[in-house]
Amino acid sequence: MAHILVVEDEQAINDLITMNLKLVGHTYAKAYSGSEVADMLEKERADLILLDVMLPGLDGFGVMEQIAPLRIPVILITARGALSDRIRGFELGADDYIIKPFEILELLARINVVLRRNEQAASAFVCDRVEVRFTERQVWVDQLLVDLTAREFELLEVLIRNRNIALSREKLLELAWGYDYAGDTRTVDVHIRQLRKKLGWEERIKTVFKLGYRLEVQV
Amino acid sequence: MRFWHKILLAVLVLFIAALDVSVVMVLKKSWQLNMASERKRAASEQLLITNSIYENLESNRFRGMSLNPELLVSVTQSYGQHYRKQGIGLELRENGRLLYPIEDGVSPGQEETRAAQEEHIMTLAMPLPAPYQHLELVYKRDISGLYAQQEELNRFFVMINWIVGPLLVVLLYLLIRHLTKPLKLLSETTKTIAEGDYSKRVELNSRDEFGELAFNFNKMATVIEQRMSDLAGMAEDKQRMVDNLAHELRTPLTSMQGFAELLTTANIDQDDQVKAGRYILSETVRLKNLAFKLLDLSVLRHQPLVLAEVDVASLFDTVAQTEQQRVRDNGLLLEMNSSIPAVWGDADLLAALLVNLIENAIPVSRPGQTIRVLAYQQDGEGVLEVQDSGSGMTEEQSRRAFEPFYRADSSRSRAYGHAGLGLSLCRQIAEAHQGRVELQSAPGEGTSIRLFLSSTL
Repeated sequence: MAHILVVEDEQAINDLITMNLKLVGHTYAKAYSGSEVADMLEKERADLILLDVMLPGLDGFGVMEQIAPLRIPVILITARGALSDRIRGFELGADDYIIKPFEILELLARINVVLRRNEQAASAFVCDRVEVRFTERQVWVDQLLVDLTAREFELLEVLIRNRNIALSREKLLELAWGYDYAGDTRTVDVHIRQLRKKLGWEERIKTVFKLGYRLEVQV
Repeated sequence: MRFWHKILLAVLVLFIAALDVSVVMVLKKSWQLNMASERKRAASEQLLITNSIYENLESNRFRGMSLNPELLVSVTQSYGQHYRKQGIGLELRENGRLLYPIEDGVSPGQEETRAAQEEHIMTLAMPLPAPYQHLELVYKRDISGLYAQQEELNRFFVMINWIVGPLLVVLLYLLIRHLTKPLKLLSETTKTIAEGDYSKRVELNSRDEFGELAFNFNKMATVIEQRMSDLAGMAEDKQRMVDNLAHELRTPLTSMQGFAELLTTANIDQDDQVKAGRYILSETVRLKNLAFKLLDLSVLRHQPLVLAEVDVASLFDTVAQTEQQRVRDNGLLLEMNSSIPAVWGDADLLAALLVNLIENAIPVSRPGQTIRVLAYQQDGEGVLEVQDSGSGMTEEQSRRAFEPFYRADSSRSRAYGHAGLGLSLCRQIAEAHQGRVELQSAPGEGTSIRLFLSSTL
């Protein structure tokens, strides 16, 4: 998975983001001010930077100018959603923009999109006897190719990308089937049952009471 | 109907009426005078003729001639023929019987004119003196010339009316247009201002009532413009405050929502659970502080204050009790010094003000430094002062320090749970005391904030 640098002066939000990154299998580094970013990047390379705009000292835009030569993808985080700010961010080469308050799932989804666009998303996921190859869209169990429908694969990918986080049936429908899908939430249950059976993941894919499903993997 | 229409019409009507009335009166008077003098002349002429006839008859009588009607007629005829040339006709009656009638052709060739002007003949009759009292001489004089003259005058007068009327209209129009020009200017400016351009002024430099009106109008426009820009400034301040408030709410809400989500949906270990719970707690406290500070500000704004004598020593004790521990925890010293026994104010608010100022001083100070709280008198005013020797503020930061939610150093003071409302609150407290707050600061030299209380002991 990716190594992500989180630059955010609010300690609470910095911790919130990094805890979630850890859950879905990313590694991270924390920075609390703009001025320390360049030094940190010199010591260790990051695949992605989550950058707050309003930082003490050097602000987010200043940081972007400073690190532009390194060509690391950046997602800006800010409390201000003004159009001028967004335009400035994109002009400076930001890959995406997210406005506080944000939902964690949204942040993770945007991170995945940016990583995939920069071909830094993990191409495979291995757990127990199961290996998922995202680029080939193939799933192997004990070195044997398992036959999944397209929808089952989408659902599996959503669960893996947001692992350790409980996803409601509605959210799963939205993420795996798409916004305009008008189906019943029971469809989700049917597909989950299929996945559990085909992958032998009765224990891995947990039913969370009153919420939905969660793929539990050791962090 | 426009104002200038009204003036023009009113002046025109009044002027023509006055002119006509006076001219008609003058004409009438002159007619009367002419008639009177004509009558007088006629009377004296008649008298003269009568006397001449009388003397003629007398002399005839002395010569012994009998006064038969032929003689009377011949005498009268000689006079009648003489006076006929002067347009005067004579008649002689004896006991009402006509002896000598007026001869026709008094003015030969003017028959028709005479017929038309027949009524304009002045007739006077008188008896001859005794002993001829049975004889009566009738004097007739043609006065149609007088009438013709009067008619000529009347015609002339009507013609003058026709000429003077239009001339007056033109002159009045020009005059009124000129006089009401300032009115038009004022009206145009008022319209511009009504459309929202408050910078417009009336450019009028006359010293009459219009000049006065323009001057006052300009004064009014200036005041309105000032008020409008004040209001706009206030609205801008409010908007900034609302924007800042939105930001202040967003940040804790983001982490509260995020950590609550994490606790309910994520598969995390116990350490992380505790951490998430603590963050939710601390952010809740931050929101609570913010809410209370806002409430304080609002209460201060709406409640009048009852000022009482506040003992400085006990005020300092209260403040020290509240802040001593926090100051010590940060490795700082708190020093309090008072040279006055008491000040006028509200004890709770003054304590709140000092606590706020000390809490502002803590994060900017380095361990080992001292925060000083002072009370003294200066120029008849009681002063409460909080001094630190911390990092200080730049000019720009000092200027904005009293803005709600402004923080000179955002991350550090936010880490202390400050809402950024401390100095706003201090200023509100000062204003409630009818006092003022002054801030003095230089980067690297620390900050001192003074509250001046106008009423002292």
